[in-house]
Amino acid sequence: MPVLERSVSEATFFVEAPTEGGTTNNRGFVLRTIRHQPAALAGLVFLVAMTITAILAPWIAPFPLHEQVGPVFGHPSWQHWFGLDDGGIDMVTLLIWGSRTSLVVGFAATFVSMVIGGTIGVVAGYFGGHTDNVLMRITDYFLVIPDVPLMIVVAAIWGPSLFHIIIVIGILLWTSTARVIRAQVKSVRERVYVKRSRALGAGHTRIVLKHVLPQVAPLLIASTVLTIAVAIFDETALAFLGLGDPSTISLGSIMEHAFERAAISTGAWWAIVPPGVLVTLLILACSLVGGAIEDALNPRLRVAHLSARMFRLRPLVGRGQDAV
Amino acid sequence: MSAPLLEVADLQVWFDLEDGGELHAVQGVNVSLEPGERLGLVGESGCGKTTTALAIMGLLPPNASVSGSILLDGDDILAGGEEAMRPHRWVDIAIVFQGAMNALNPVYTIGRQIVEALELHNRANGTTARARTAELLEAVGIPAGRAQRYPHELSGGMRQRAAIAMALACNPKVLIADEPTTALDVMVQAQILELLDALCRDFGLALILVTHDLPVVAQLCNRCAVMYAGEIVERGPLEAIYHTPGHPYSRMLFAASPDLAGLDDPVYSIHGAPPRLDRPIDGCPFRPRCDSAFDACSVRPRLEQLAADHDAACHLNSGVLA
Amino acid sequence: MRGTDYVLKRVFFAIVTVWVAVTINFVLFRLAPGTAVTNLSRVPHATQQLRHALEVQFGLDKSKWQQYVIYLKQLAHGNLGVSYENEQPVSTNLRIALINSLPMVTLGTVFAIVLGILTGVIAAWRRGTKTEGATLSTALAFYAMPTQWLGLMLIIIFAGIFPTGGMTNEFLLNPGFWTHTKDLASHMFLPALTLGLTLYGEYTLIVRSAMLETLGEDYILTARAKGLKPRTIVRTHALRNAMLPITTLIALSLGYIVAGAILIETVFSWPGIGRAVYEAVLQRDYPMLQGAFLVLTLSVIFFNLVADLLYFKLDPRITE
Repeated sequence: MPVLERSVSEATFFVEAPTEGGTTNNRGFVLRTIRHQPAALAGLVFLVAMTITAILAPWIAPFPLHEQVGPVFGHPSWQHWFGLDDGGIDMVTLLIWGSRTSLVVGFAATFVSMVIGGTIGVVAGYFGGHTDNVLMRITDYFLVIPDVPLMIVVAAIWGPSLFHIIIVIGILLWTSTARVIRAQVKSVRERVYVKRSRALGAGHTRIVLKHVLPQVAPLLIASTVLTIAVAIFDETALAFLGLGDPSTISLGSIMEHAFERAAISTGAWWAIVPPGVLVTLLILACSLVGGAIEDALNPRLRVAHLSARMFRLRPLVGRGQDAV
Repeated sequence: MSAPLLEVADLQVWFDLEDGGELHAVQGVNVSLEPGERLGLVGESGCGKTTTALAIMGLLPPNASVSGSILLDGDDILAGGEEAMRPHRWVDIAIVFQGAMNALNPVYTIGRQIVEALELHNRANGTTARARTAELLEAVGIPAGRAQRYPHELSGGMRQRAAIAMALACNPKVLIADEPTTALDVMVQAQILELLDALCRDFGLALILVTHDLPVVAQLCNRCAVMYAGEIVERGPLEAIYHTPGHPYSRMLFAASPDLAGLDDPVYSIHGAPPRLDRPIDGCPFRPRCDSAFDACSVRPRLEQLAADHDAACHLNSGVLA
Repeated sequence: MRGTDYVLKRVFFAIVTVWVAVTINFVLFRLAPGTAVTNLSRVPHATQQLRHALEVQFGLDKSKWQQYVIYLKQLAHGNLGVSYENEQPVSTNLRIALINSLPMVTLGTVFAIVLGILTGVIAAWRRGTKTEGATLSTALAFYAMPTQWLGLMLIIIFAGIFPTGGMTNEFLLNPGFWTHTKDLASHMFLPALTLGLTLYGEYTLIVRSAMLETLGEDYILTARAKGLKPRTIVRTHALRNAMLPITTLIALSLGYIVAGAILIETVFSWPGIGRAVYEAVLQRDYPMLQGAFLVLTLSVIFFNLVADLLYFKLDPRITE
């Protein structure tokens, strides 16, 4: 996946740090932002719904996961809404369990990358100077390495297992978060109350935890959500290339199985289309939510001077009480 | 008595706000300008003077709505909206912006940008255009060779001169100068003001000078309109307003300007802030900051004539007139 | 020449990055957990003797440092090793694969850039209208689709109209030039379309953002004040300025197109460098994998350098 989450941050890089003021320092800020944007709200609802489905998988999956309940590539019917896969297993069941794995990988890998990226970003931004330079150099070199090929190589060398996949994806996604967080931390560090705390002798840790992190939190959340999107994508890519964990079923592996077993030639579109749609919706939902938060944090300070819409004319009206 | 060159009647401008509300930036402005006349439009930041100036040329952003009439040589150009206003831009009315702004496109040379104006309005083409550009640059004091330079290669003062040269390219009748010297060094300010003075005289331009800086107005203009909270609160000859201000705001403005206040007078600052324009204003907008407010001020005052060609909107004058 | 310093500095940085990439490549393959021999060699259950023989053959019995030096020396000679699979030099295999990839990837990328610029400008121009929403939603939707899945969807839709696999029709013996070109083009269409659709969404966002930023600049107001028509302003003033960040960001993204290429070439059986990576993994052809990975990393560095130099050339303000 091209690095959209990188370029979304860069596409808004014209305003490098958010506006002054305490409005971003609210718990409510993220939720308020999302509530005001219908697309983002829909995305969030979808994500929550999928997460709940994934958690409740063992209880709500209609059919057993490893049992053949009909013919290979059975057609969709009232009993099996999305038909059966190449092993005769119910697709809806597969989709529910598959999304569970995909979400687990997505969340876990993102967690890894957030911890690495967030820490590096905070440390680089807060301490600045030499530390900053060194860390940014390292980040720059990491950025140069194309992520999917590296993931492929490492997965190939290390061997396929869910744990390895999570670590591999996580290790590659931290760079953009680090940069974004670093810019944010730098701007926060210059603010008055931070300087005051320093003057009062507060230790670094305290300042970071009490002052820096709350300000950085919304951006961190946005970055997290966007990274989840990339992580899910990467997992499907690895699974498709045969590097996924063979013992687990993920949305990516469902697609891979279908592809391997020539689902298309046999016309069994139900084995290929639904998992892809689900992945698309998940990634879309994450992008909308994350994008909305990022947009809210980097407001476009100017109205464009020019657009298809022009200024409007209002009919002449009297001046109310002053009308002669 | 000849018809005024430019006549703005009951101009109102609203801006749509992101949260759904409206900002009433200009609340009924009336301006008239004779050929060759120099009018200063003065006021604090946010009083609506720049918006008024932009509205005269129709340079409002998409989230603006306008009402009123703008008569140029008797024709209401506002009535037709953007399409009607565009043909008059630059050929009838031109504008020079604040020097600190990125008013010149950084990726084209200044010569190219002036030629663009000439060619667009069919004043000249090709070699003729380049020659005319050289003339214009010389007229503002820039060596013609600098036409090949990019804006960032020129000093602030030079950039401003180039912008003025560009504004004069199509021989407009009216020149609007929006804070033309605010971002410049004091020495350069004086030069630019002299330049504007000379050019307006030589080219017979009418000038609308928008600024918060009273000494600048004093140097260039003979008439002045003071704006506050989106409306004109006093207008008339500069001398008259200075000697016999008809509005407390004008009085305090002049007192707050150290160059214009007498050497021995203490320099005032006007405390407080202008009212919010996204809500309707109750009574006189200046009341909270006024040192002479009284009961009558709960009703919004209107512009009334104090003397010949001198109007002010203040209840204090009712006693005078009564 | 303006800014010779700048150019030299960027080139130097690129060279250093190349060295870092080469080293990372070495570290990855030699020092990773599980030696290359056990995990990637073609003999997973080899005897101890055989393993030892392989280790000697690959110089794995020498110290890491010595291996590194040998590796660098070989690279300097363009020697990337020999493929396990077809026993040809890796460099030869990669060269062929790269040449195969280039037309398809170029076509797809050009398509993505053109479509991205078009939709980005439209979205910025019609800000706040339904058109903007629709344009952005479509772009986002295509972007969100897993590349391989989009390819499969296109196969389903276009099966019968366009060939769905391979680069050429193998049954065409000694085709004439036009026949060959038509054949190539028809095979290239679907994979290039997939690449284009996957990529363009990102460009839409970049272009829209750059245009919005530019349209808020003061010189746009000046241009309007001069009496220029909106279309002219967008073309001559706004787009020209917006091209600065747009070009840079697009050039930066070029290096990463690889990821999409791997998936697309796998789905469409296109014999390019992406599929070379896939097959190298499948066949545990470790020299090929290492070579391909190096080439891909180098292409990213190359495009980053191109982006730097392009930005420098386009913006007259950068003189340093």
